[in-house]
Amino acid sequence: MATSINQRQSPAFGVLMVVLIIMAIGPIGMMIATSLKLDVDIMSSTSSLLFMPTMQNYETVLCNVLWYEPEHLDYCDPTFGRALKSSLIIALVSTFFTLVLGTMAAYALVRFRFMGRGVISLTTLLMRMVPPAVLLVPVFGILTFDFCIGDDCLAGTYSGIILVYVAMNLPFVIWILQSFIVQVPVQLEEAARMDGANPFQVFYLVVLPLIKPGLAAASIFTFRIAWNEFLLANALLDRNTRTVPVTIVNSLTGYDTDWGVIMATGTLLAVPPIIFTFVASKQIITGMTAGAVKG
Amino acid sequence: MPILRLENLCKRYASNDVIHSINLEMRDREFTVLVGPSGCGKSTTLRMIAGLESVSDGEIYIDDRPVSSLEPKARDLAMVFQDYALYPHMNVAKNMSFALKLQKRPKKEIDQKVNEVAEMLGLTNFLHRKPAELSGGQRQRVAMGRALTRDAATFLFDEPLSNLDAKLRGQMRAELALMSQRVQKNMVYVTHDQVEAMTLADRIVVMQDGHIRQQGTPEELFKKPNSKFVAGFIGSPPMNFLEGTLEHRGDMTCVVGQGYILSLLPEQAQRVNAANQKDIILGIRPSDLSYAPDAKDGDALELTVLISEYIGAQSILLASCGDQKISVEMKSDNPIELQKNMKFQAVKQGIHLFDRKTEVAL
Repeated sequence: MATSINQRQSPAFGVLMVVLIIMAIGPIGMMIATSLKLDVDIMSSTSSLLFMPTMQNYETVLCNVLWYEPEHLDYCDPTFGRALKSSLIIALVSTFFTLVLGTMAAYALVRFRFMGRGVISLTTLLMRMVPPAVLLVPVFGILTFDFCIGDDCLAGTYSGIILVYVAMNLPFVIWILQSFIVQVPVQLEEAARMDGANPFQVFYLVVLPLIKPGLAAASIFTFRIAWNEFLLANALLDRNTRTVPVTIVNSLTGYDTDWGVIMATGTLLAVPPIIFTFVASKQIITGMTAGAVKG
Repeated sequence: MPILRLENLCKRYASNDVIHSINLEMRDREFTVLVGPSGCGKSTTLRMIAGLESVSDGEIYIDDRPVSSLEPKARDLAMVFQDYALYPHMNVAKNMSFALKLQKRPKKEIDQKVNEVAEMLGLTNFLHRKPAELSGGQRQRVAMGRALTRDAATFLFDEPLSNLDAKLRGQMRAELALMSQRVQKNMVYVTHDQVEAMTLADRIVVMQDGHIRQQGTPEELFKKPNSKFVAGFIGSPPMNFLEGTLEHRGDMTCVVGQGYILSLLPEQAQRVNAANQKDIILGIRPSDLSYAPDAKDGDALELTVLISEYIGAQSILLASCGDQKISVEMKSDNPIELQKNMKFQAVKQGIHLFDRKTEVAL
């Protein structure tokens, strides 16, 4: 609106903004602050923003990853290091497979004519409407009792949970990527065919580079879901394969809850998705297809 | 160069016939232009040759080898698309070398070929730019360059100039003509613009509604159109058509219509009389009429000038002949008065006669 430039903003608006910012950043700020405090400071009734920051909690959490032995520890608990590894493996691998399968499925749905194409396109989204909690019981049953080789079943393994995450995220990824692939001009694919590319080369050398922004968006989405997921991870993983969110919740016990360590874990939990998002979002450049065809 | 031959080529969508049994043979190193109004099937024909569209019936032969079931890459063709279809994520050099890379040619050879073609098309300074950073004419040139680096035996063009503005189109047309002289390959070119067809083609194939109406050199088509459609399609401004009947006056055969009487040359009269057709359409090109105030009756048309379009060296007049409209090309240095009756002499050789029912040339 042209008039908005001249409008004075009311003070109430400013106040509202401050409140919203505090609501958004407050918990995160508290988490980071607490992670830098000693137990004494955390539990003290006069807790304030004035304290001596320490890296002790982080040292405790990362003790089996660090190159030195923290002085304050007499026993190094490997739980977090293990959970971090599990989380990274599960999130990255499931993201990778979701993208590989998702792009190919989306491409097929957009470009190929086959029977039931419309129905499949629609049902991929319908699958998304089922809440994960509904899936939990049957999936738990399947992973625990079916598809076992000897005594080894899929429950508690990386493969099991990765399979579930891929299945869970595929519909949405297919749906996002379809809208990106539709925008790739068919003439480009025809030009590539004339240039002598086989269908796979057309897909990998022409279509994939052009839908990079879509791939980035989809990978941020799937990585974050796999990284944060708690419900299924809690039920399906065992103590050796647990992810970070599950570990955090498990360390909240009725007895000796070490808030400093939990907050440090939480802070560390937030870092990989942030890095991943920054890296991936670099790929989101608008106008990727500009200049391809006159339009 | 291999010879391209279409035999009873058909294209059907569902039960809808788009191309009705086309037969065509393109000679060695010939520049063949498929021309026709939009929807006449010229692009579909080209895409079938390219292998982008399936063939419903009939066969395409390249050097007597049936290719209609082969993939595009097995046909040794290069194609320039109407919308350029450049790969936006690759720079100009990569766009042009894409095909060679897929063929796994040595890098040195690829670089050499790309540089050679870039120089020929004046693209040397743009090799590292992305298509988005190029102007329309440059993009068109890259698209051509991409086809040229391929070194394919046959080049296909799908209305390559239709996205350019008028001035650039003229320029690119000349460049295309130069290029085709230099590379000496088979060219198949699709356009709806008869000027492009006339200027570029060794042979023009006029298509309408999925049929070939006439094929021949530009001159043949211009001078001896076999139907009213071809006559009206080739030439700019288009040919005038007037309804008339044949009458014998003394020993002359004349065409008589509303507002005019034109006598025919003996050989024309002979041809027309042989056809034994009274109701005809008279066709005459605007350039075959010239201002002649003291022309005899039987040689001239008396026209009332309605509009004069001044375009420099000449003017295009729109005039009425009876209640039919007719356009005339005229040197601009002659005085032009509107709403006045003027006499225009018709060049006898330029008179075309068509059967009114079948619209076939007599």
